[in-house]
Amino acid sequence: MNDLLLDISEVSKTFGRGGLLSRQKIAAVNQVSFQLAARRPEILAIIGESGSGKTTLARMILNIETPTSGKLVLDGIDLAAIRSSDARMAFMHKVQPIFQNPFESFNPLKRLDRYLFMTRRRFSRAAGEGAAETSVDDALQKVGLSLQEVRHRYPHELSGGQLQRVAIARALLAEPKLIVADEPVSMIDASLRISIVNLFKTLRDDLGISIIYVTHDLATAYYISDRIMIMQKGCVVESGDARTVLRAPQHPYTRQLREAVLLTEAADVAAGVSGMNDLTSPGAPERRA
Amino acid sequence: MRANVQQPHAPQDAQPILWVRDLQAHYRTSHFGVRRGVKAVDGVSFAVRRGEIYGLAGESSSGKTTLIKSIAGAIRPPLEIVGGSVEFAFLPGYGGLHRAPPVDVARIRWRHLSYIMQGSMNVLNPVRRVESAFVDFAYPHIGGSRKQFEQQVVAHLARVRLDPSVLAAFPHELSGGMRQRATLALATICRPDFIIADEPTTALDVVVQKEVLGMIRSIQRETGSSVLFVTHDMGVHAHITDRLAIMYAGRLVEEAATAEIFRNPLHPYTRHLISSLPRIGDDTPREGLGGSPPNLADPPPGCRFHPRCPLATEICKREVPAMLEADTGHRVACFAVNQGARA
Ligand SMILES: Nc1ncnc2c1ncn2[C@@H]1O[C@H](COP(=O)(O)OP(=O)(O)OP(=O)(O)O)[C@@H](O)[C@H]1O
Ligand SMILES: Nc1ncnc2c1ncn2[C@@H]1O[C@H](COP(=O)(O)OP(=O)(O)O)[C@@H](O)[C@H]1O
Ligand code: SF4
Ligand SMILES: [Mg+2]
Ligand SMILES: [Mg+2]
Repeated sequence: MNDLLLDISEVSKTFGRGGLLSRQKIAAVNQVSFQLAARRPEILAIIGESGSGKTTLARMILNIETPTSGKLVLDGIDLAAIRSSDARMAFMHKVQPIFQNPFESFNPLKRLDRYLFMTRRRFSRAAGEGAAETSVDDALQKVGLSLQEVRHRYPHELSGGQLQRVAIARALLAEPKLIVADEPVSMIDASLRISIVNLFKTLRDDLGISIIYVTHDLATAYYISDRIMIMQKGCVVESGDARTVLRAPQHPYTRQLREAVLLTEAADVAAGVSGMNDLTSPGAPERRA
Repeated sequence: MRANVQQPHAPQDAQPILWVRDLQAHYRTSHFGVRRGVKAVDGVSFAVRRGEIYGLAGESSSGKTTLIKSIAGAIRPPLEIVGGSVEFAFLPGYGGLHRAPPVDVARIRWRHLSYIMQGSMNVLNPVRRVESAFVDFAYPHIGGSRKQFEQQVVAHLARVRLDPSVLAAFPHELSGGMRQRATLALATICRPDFIIADEPTTALDVVVQKEVLGMIRSIQRETGSSVLFVTHDMGVHAHITDRLAIMYAGRLVEEAATAEIFRNPLHPYTRHLISSLPRIGDDTPREGLGGSPPNLADPPPGCRFHPRCPLATEICKREVPAMLEADTGHRVACFAVNQGARA
């Protein structure tokens, strides 16, 4: 058994951009290192403005993008050494992605139930039509859907939020050790967002799955993560215990992010309303005479 | 930052510019002989006043986009308007864009009504430069010489802090925030009376989002447009909308001034929604709603919230609660709240 589930050391990625004459180099990710322990599953939040390199880092962890320099090792597998399709398969069994835009993660011409059954066939040894139905339905139930609702449907027939839940269900079918979720709840409403981040907690606590949670929603990051990493222009500018960092941000950029959170004031107003959390009595209109 | 919570902006007594009456819009599909009717919008009524930003919130798949599509006339099979009407003050007499002659619709589009769709890539054609969208949509309405038009476009782009060079770019070459600002510029350049925006900032990071919202607000103040602003993000509503309607399973369940919704939510679903918002520094566990979101192909009878409502009684399972005024300007559809209220 390996001590580290994920070991990233000094990883960088540079992209070239622009025409032939004025070619610029962009350091999308710049010398990033961090580890996830194998024994203690955790939720690590990666936060940063758009263009700060979060997605590029996530794509390197998923082996979709190759680093310009540095090394990534997942559960003993050096990503740079993955060549054969067997090795790729073994890798995908360990780590599964969830992307920001669910409309882009599904083929619009393919029925969702087929897609789920295909994934399940690819990853599960247990045979049998009935067993497949049950495990696909189980995965969908975990995200508040059911096979009955998804059967025969195409991606455009579901709303953005529903489709994202199907994507999470699909990831669960591979029974991964690590889920890399790139802004998985941006399209999802507050109540469901809480259900999904609570689901991430359950995945961590009950199934021992570690989660890299890329987001710009600071409130849910505070709510679920163990550790947090703030990125700006490809570099990690602050990292540490999620609560400590978000309660008392040290870096000016972290403070700027905190100030852009829109909800604080409104939620404070709501939280100040007495009895708000008592949902067993109806709201009372303040009738004016 | 000043949130709207303390500060409504729009005049309280302005005349409506849009009336939606008992609108019903269903998706009718048939797969391998299995017929399915999704009642995505089922009896929605509200009015939007001149000069206000009217918000629409609701959980995923509650029918927000469907409602918006029906209002904007973007109706393609399997979506069908099954009943009710939509009327804009600038296009009276037809009961909806879907019933108006195409020439009239073409006349008002962009000039009087613009629609920012969920996922802005839909407006900008991926294989054509940004400039061509302005020429195709806005030039016919603005007219004049091409040179003047170009100057106007460049000046307008500056308002949303975009460099003129974006005009020569293809949509995929721009970041999400830049694309969204280009779409916003396109939607506002003709100074339309009414702007419909479906999740316009959902894909943006918090810093850019706040910036884009500020731009929407300032352009709206300057032009006096009305905005129908759809998002599931309550923080965005608190920041920008004047009034707010909450949608659940294809119907409106509550409507009031945004500040009032946060201060005194009445409907059990709204109360849950507001109390589920996580806050930095607050460690109390939050729960999502128990039960599943309703399947709109087979919605529960009576009040659609009843299977998940802690206050449900017998009547809730049989009868549909009407949207009644519980307090001045505060409408709610709930039997537990509305005892003794008037229509
Ligand atoms: N083309 C379609 N054919 C059949 N059903 C559809 C179609 N488009 C949407 N639906 C269904 O209509 C319902 C409402 O979807 P809609 O897109 O309006 O939700 P929404 O409130 O905008 O959600 P989100 O916040 O996730 O965007 C959902 O049950 C969805 O599955
Ligand atoms: N395939 C690519 N080609 C060129 N530049 C890219 C590519 N992917 C990302 N970039 C650039 O790298 C930087 C980081 O992008 P990204 O990782 O997507 O950031 P984030 O996910 O934090 O928004 C940006 O400047 C982006 O434009
Ligand atoms: S009408 Fe009944 S079920 Fe519906 S919200 Fe009110 S109390 Fe709950
Ligand atoms: Mg990204
Ligand atoms: Mg939608």
